[in-house]
Amino acid sequence: MGLEIGTHPMSMDDIASLLAERFAAEFHHVRVQEPDTVVARCAREDLAAVARSLKEHPEVGYETLNWIAGVDHVKHFESVYHVYSWKTNTYLELHVEVPRATPEIDTVTGVWPAADWHERESFDMVGIVYTGHPDLRRILLKDDFVGHPLRKDYVDLAENHPHV
Amino acid sequence: MDILLAILRALVFVVIAYMVVFVAALVNIVFERRVLAFMQDRHGPNRTGPHGVLQSIADAFKMMGKEDFRPLLADPVLFTLAPVMVMIGAVAVQLVLPYTAGITATDLNVGVIFIVAITSFTTVSILLGGWSSRNKYSLVGALRAAAQMISYEIPMILGLIVVVMVVGSFSVSAVVEAQAGFQWIAFYAPFTFLIFYIASIAELNRGPFDLPESESELVSGYGTEYSGMRFGMFFLNEYAGMTIMSMVAVTLFFGGWQGPYDGAVVFWGVSWLGLIWFILKTYVLVFALVWIRLSLPRLQVDQLMGFAWKILIPLGLVNILATAAIMLWVPSWKWGLAVFSWVALLTFVGLFDPILKFRLRKQRERQPVVSA
Amino acid sequence: MFDEFETPEPDEAVKLALRRIDEATARGEGSDADGLAFNEVVVNMGPQHPSTHGVLRLVVTLDGELVKDVIPVIGYLHRCKEKLAERRTYFQYIPIVDRTEYVAGINCEWAYVMTVEKLAGIRPTRRAEFIRVITGELMRIASHLVAVGTFTADLSPLGTAMVFYMFRDREVILDLLEELTGARMMFNYFRFGGVRYDLPDGWVEKCRAFLKKMPKLMREYESLVDDNAIFLQRTQGKGVITQQDVVDYGITGPNARASAVALDLRRTRPYSVYPELDFEVCTLEHGDVFDRYKVRMNEMRESVKIIEQALDMLPRGPVQVGSLRAPYVITPPPGSCYVGQENPRGEYGTYIESDGSRYPYRLKYRDPCFCNLQIFPKLLSGNKIADAVAISGSIDLVLGGIDR
Repeated sequence: MGLEIGTHPMSMDDIASLLAERFAAEFHHVRVQEPDTVVARCAREDLAAVARSLKEHPEVGYETLNWIAGVDHVKHFESVYHVYSWKTNTYLELHVEVPRATPEIDTVTGVWPAADWHERESFDMVGIVYTGHPDLRRILLKDDFVGHPLRKDYVDLAENHPHV
Repeated sequence: MDILLAILRALVFVVIAYMVVFVAALVNIVFERRVLAFMQDRHGPNRTGPHGVLQSIADAFKMMGKEDFRPLLADPVLFTLAPVMVMIGAVAVQLVLPYTAGITATDLNVGVIFIVAITSFTTVSILLGGWSSRNKYSLVGALRAAAQMISYEIPMILGLIVVVMVVGSFSVSAVVEAQAGFQWIAFYAPFTFLIFYIASIAELNRGPFDLPESESELVSGYGTEYSGMRFGMFFLNEYAGMTIMSMVAVTLFFGGWQGPYDGAVVFWGVSWLGLIWFILKTYVLVFALVWIRLSLPRLQVDQLMGFAWKILIPLGLVNILATAAIMLWVPSWKWGLAVFSWVALLTFVGLFDPILKFRLRKQRERQPVVSA
Repeated sequence: MFDEFETPEPDEAVKLALRRIDEATARGEGSDADGLAFNEVVVNMGPQHPSTHGVLRLVVTLDGELVKDVIPVIGYLHRCKEKLAERRTYFQYIPIVDRTEYVAGINCEWAYVMTVEKLAGIRPTRRAEFIRVITGELMRIASHLVAVGTFTADLSPLGTAMVFYMFRDREVILDLLEELTGARMMFNYFRFGGVRYDLPDGWVEKCRAFLKKMPKLMREYESLVDDNAIFLQRTQGKGVITQQDVVDYGITGPNARASAVALDLRRTRPYSVYPELDFEVCTLEHGDVFDRYKVRMNEMRESVKIIEQALDMLPRGPVQVGSLRAPYVITPPPGSCYVGQENPRGEYGTYIESDGSRYPYRLKYRDPCFCNLQIFPKLLSGNKIADAVAISGSIDLVLGGIDR
């Protein structure tokens, strides 16, 4: 009753080709990672539209956001979105590149409400700014912390340890 | 000369009453902690003194050593007065209770009414403490405590009315004497005892009725701003109240100091075996209080008030009516009362839980199932 | 007189709560008929509190006894585990993973070890897989005992008794695991390709003896609680998680299963030897506090079944791939991998990006309690404070995982 899992099972290759076809303009490098994940890359300008379409797709609606990770590849940042489709019981891992100079990207909290805290954590740790987020402030570190620890060039500053 | 002797006698009794309150409080704290611990499959405090009996004294010293402060905005007079006043109820009640044959501070001919009136002192001092703390949450906690205590005084009084009807006098020693020869009121009016006992647990803020002082809620109610010995007074009063209320129940329902061979050991005009029976019976009831506290989850404020007003009070009234009818029209009314009371008790105890469960089951069936 | 006071500057969370009250007042909500201002108070259920399980701070906006809004503030237990991963070899990191969800350490290690094995292409031995299942399910029982025990303790002194009984039984499990791994809580037991130690002599018999006792103990616990009308009144119908919430917020684990969502990663994304084991996914329909508690009790019974089957099917063989010593330094090929597992609290997983060196390039945790905590404001609003305590206890939070 209610929420069912795996009502439209599809093979991974079918899903990959479906997505490659539907998002031919936006996705590049669509590939299958066994056993049940499709990995794709997307440009940051397309993210808002793609997110909405992914969620509302009739056959593979990716309705649940699992996590968002911010990664610092030295030349650029990356925001990784891991979403789950109840109908096919598969995952999609979407990598979105964010330039280091202007680390801004659209928020997806309008599409997946769970993104709220995940984006805050990504902002806190890596410094990617999610424009349009209802309440973007630090979540794990103290409010007046200086710097973003998970960047590769992070150096522990004395200002963050006033009482030592 | 007579007046001096009378004053001296009064002073001695007051001192004894205070001693009883403090000693009872200290003993009850350790008693409860150890009994709770054994019921929870652990040891409890067993280091201070043999088997931990000196634990309360250690706690008392600790509490006395704490910094004594009061919040800046708290009312200076009332804030100090509340913990001082709180024990008056417990002490004064003892002045009408006979510890053993013939030893009563003062045998008022309206003793039962006096008991009921004086136990309300605790309510007043809790309200005072909550209000004078100038803390919104203390006030809310105190008001809740006061509401609970006032609501449950009514069933208590309804139970005591039956006792007075059966005995025919308001005097406490008359009640004790009327129970001579094992004719304890609890044996032929157990339903009345049940109503009185449940109401008295709620009066004490004990057991399932301890919402005013529940530790895992947001704030600790009326005692939030109190610390050190000020808080110690509230705390001791609660534990002393366990003993005092049990003493009242024993005196009025279980024959007080009477028991087998109670006239055997008489020394200096005091029947010592009677005293031992009194203490023994009191502590059986105190143990029951601890046991009940452990076994039942806390009632919420609406369940609490609903239980008092919608269940206990109507039952108390029905009980009075039935007792009066039986006393008027049934020859050998003691047997009639016993039959009625036992039937009422068994019906109530037997039906209450199933009816409650039935209603909960119906409510559960009506509860909507989660859907997308 | 008031100059003597030094009110501390409110921090961000409290400022947010106050801002929200101002906005609601500006919108015209909540002032009573006389046009008087809001009666609301912002109260801190601070990091130290008897009933927030762990160092969780809740900034609660209260109207009398009703909770209007809750802002959870976390980070008091943040230990920068994700940054630590970048300076430690994969092998050196294993003990650190234990300490995220410390109540269920084995399951956390398992997720990490499985991710690295997938990246590096290592397959664990069959005997090791079964031992992993046995210890994982034992840890699940222990974790649920803690969860249910502390939850009932919040409700009443009766619960305090229940906690002690449940912890007494958890001691047996911890003793079993101590005999096996050497530690009661931070096990450092799993290795890439297997587990560190094989089962000692007599361990299987002790385990079976414990499993035989469990059903009787479970019935005892349930009888103390389920038949109690007061307990039922306090938990039924409160704190309902709808299926839309499960989809929107990514709620997993017993919290989702109590809302009729049959999401159990041991079945939907099978790993290890779970396909060969016969057990049921426990779901219930009402999604309230009582059902979450009941789902955990049922899951303990299913775990007992799983362990018994695994003990019966335990094959002989080595417990580690390769030679007797574990591979200390592994360098997985460049790539990324995410493996999510059924932790007692929900889906727990690690996402590891490797650049071919000895150290992980990026390690990211998917923690179930982090995701479950997001639903707090929605779940607690509109309830009385006492119910809020019961509801937050039923969600089963471990701050170690939330804060990492």
